[in-house]
Amino acid sequence: MTYHPAIDTILVLAMLLNLSMLASSRLATCIRLFAFQSFLLALLPVGGEIAVGELPSLHAYLIAAAAIGLKVILIPYVLMRILRSGEIHKDVEPFIGFTASVMIGALAIVASFAMASRLVLPMPPFSDLVLPAALSTIFIGLLTLVTRVTAITQVIGYLVLENGIFIFGLFLLNRTPLLVELGILLDVFVGVFIMAIVVYHIRREFDHIDTDLLDELKEV
Amino acid sequence: MLTPILLIAVPAVFGLICLSLPAPRWRLAVMVTGAWVNLGVIIWSWLAPHAPLKDEFIGVDPLGHLIVTVIGVLFAATSLHFVGYQRAALISQRVFLACMLALLTALNLVCVSQNLGLLWVALEASTLAGTPLIYFHGGARALEAAWKFLLMNSVGIALALLGVFCTALASVGAGEAVTLTINSLVLHGRQLDPAWLRTGFLLMLVGYGTKMGLAPLHSWLPDAHGEAPAPISALLSGAVLNAAFLAILRAYQVCQAANLGEFAGGWLIVLGLFSMAVASVFVVGQRHFKRLLAYSSVDHMGILAVAVGLGGVASYPAMLHVLHNVFYKGALFFVAGILGHSYGSYQIANIRGALRRYPLTGFLLLAALFAATGLPPFGLFYSEIGILFAAASSGHWWTLAAFALFLCIVFVGMVTAVLPMAFGGHSEPEAAAHTWDGGERWRYRAMAAPACLLIGLGFVLAVYQPSFVKEALDQAAAALGPHDTGAAIATAYAAGGGR
Repeated sequence: MTYHPAIDTILVLAMLLNLSMLASSRLATCIRLFAFQSFLLALLPVGGEIAVGELPSLHAYLIAAAAIGLKVILIPYVLMRILRSGEIHKDVEPFIGFTASVMIGALAIVASFAMASRLVLPMPPFSDLVLPAALSTIFIGLLTLVTRVTAITQVIGYLVLENGIFIFGLFLLNRTPLLVELGILLDVFVGVFIMAIVVYHIRREFDHIDTDLLDELKEV
Repeated sequence: MLTPILLIAVPAVFGLICLSLPAPRWRLAVMVTGAWVNLGVIIWSWLAPHAPLKDEFIGVDPLGHLIVTVIGVLFAATSLHFVGYQRAALISQRVFLACMLALLTALNLVCVSQNLGLLWVALEASTLAGTPLIYFHGGARALEAAWKFLLMNSVGIALALLGVFCTALASVGAGEAVTLTINSLVLHGRQLDPAWLRTGFLLMLVGYGTKMGLAPLHSWLPDAHGEAPAPISALLSGAVLNAAFLAILRAYQVCQAANLGEFAGGWLIVLGLFSMAVASVFVVGQRHFKRLLAYSSVDHMGILAVAVGLGGVASYPAMLHVLHNVFYKGALFFVAGILGHSYGSYQIANIRGALRRYPLTGFLLLAALFAATGLPPFGLFYSEIGILFAAASSGHWWTLAAFALFLCIVFVGMVTAVLPMAFGGHSEPEAAAHTWDGGERWRYRAMAAPACLLIGLGFVLAVYQPSFVKEALDQAAAALGPHDTGAAIATAYAAGGGR
């Protein structure tokens, strides 16, 4: 059993933030919650190395800096601009209601703990909570993607999914080359930037960002 | 080491030049030059033999070399077609052409990257570069297609990233010396942790499979192909899908080395047959020509997945299929572009009597149809027969039966849809069709020439396959196989009547 209070607090907070994102119907709140979650997670590469008693490497600092720059500042800024440029503030009622999705999210967290206890990691992680936090964040990201109808919330779901994968990638911090990790972060950012442009066009075309209306193309 | 750098630098530099030039004509010229210089670099790179790769980030191996070549050929042909195709479009021509070259850069990077992580970054970059291309014509439908393409592929590829991380976890136990490069993973295959590698492979198969158009995550593909301009559809189906296929092949190579070839092959066969089944359902009775071609792409990707999944003897026909599929799929979309302009519609019911009205286009349509559905003497006939033989010789009887059934259904579906388009009677007034007179004549030629080029090239390579082509295919097939027997079996198959 490995245990480090600060790291565990961050991971628990990240999981709770997932639930609050599921619960909130205001898009701006969702974006802020995502930014806060990303900030907490950006502390982990450096924090993880301190927790196992190493001196943090330059690699860890660079990843943290890139994550803060892109996911805490730039991506939320782009999304907020899209939000402000129109009249959309509230999410449309999703396929699965807000309360129900929080319940499903809570179940996903329980399931993640159950799954994580069965998976055998090749090396001990710096905290036992890393794997359940990663899995639950991935599940909840997918849940958001599938059940929400506005384009912006789908983008947020994609970002939460990426955050989950980011947590998972913490295991491998020193095995993945820096260039690749920075490339991943850059791809995510450019991806969100293009998504934001498409969302902007969708709103201009349809007057709102309800992707439910995007069902013209199908087999007849 | 020079080749991979050139392959990335050439399209990137031309893309930047394209962004900076003021006149649309010049930008178009730069795009075409870029595509052809890229092809030149590829041809030049074949003159030197493959040096064994060390632990490098980028490098050219037989498999990547084959895929980068087919992508390069298709891109060069598409650049010519686009010169004729280009009309006033909604989004800026500057951005569009730069995105085309960015797409080429990303795809070349996919082919030369030897590191699983870098491969992921490059493939995701190709999704991002492709999105504006789909939105070329503007409007609600193109927007929907672009959104689906971007979101589905980004999410799918995010799962593949998880798969890459799982593979990395599998390599942790093998010691510090193992990195995420293909060579290193293959070399230490037996030391990889099988449980994590299985998880990693499945996630990569689903993730990259989304991008490759494997059912059930193919649904973005018909929409994107239906709405994108014809040259872009050709690139999507010939270049982007093959790049995603290469990513799956990389994962398969690692599994094969870790003695998980049977497991990985089994899943490839399942997804491949399912894709063929889905394609055969939607090809029959399809009303939109480009969606028809899109489902044909899904079908061909399914064929490739099945072939690789069968392994061993089927590896050589799989590579042959990759090579020839590109020619005919490209040619079909080019013909679709001409017909779309000629009749002002992609609805199959509106396109009639092409052979009488536009003899060259009609002829190309028929030739490309027969080639793409695998009739002899075209190359896909040999590859499909080869796959059937391989299934029979390895005792996969159910796979063989299903494979043959779906091939037949798709064949019937394609032929019943396309033959009336070529022969057909007078369903609408003659005046409705475009005549390509006077100043338009060069456009018609520019659009038809690349289709002639691709079909001709495919035909020549099917009738007479020079030894260097065969050698290249053999080497690529050997890279897939179980490492001791793959090449030997492929050679035996080829000697036994296959080409």
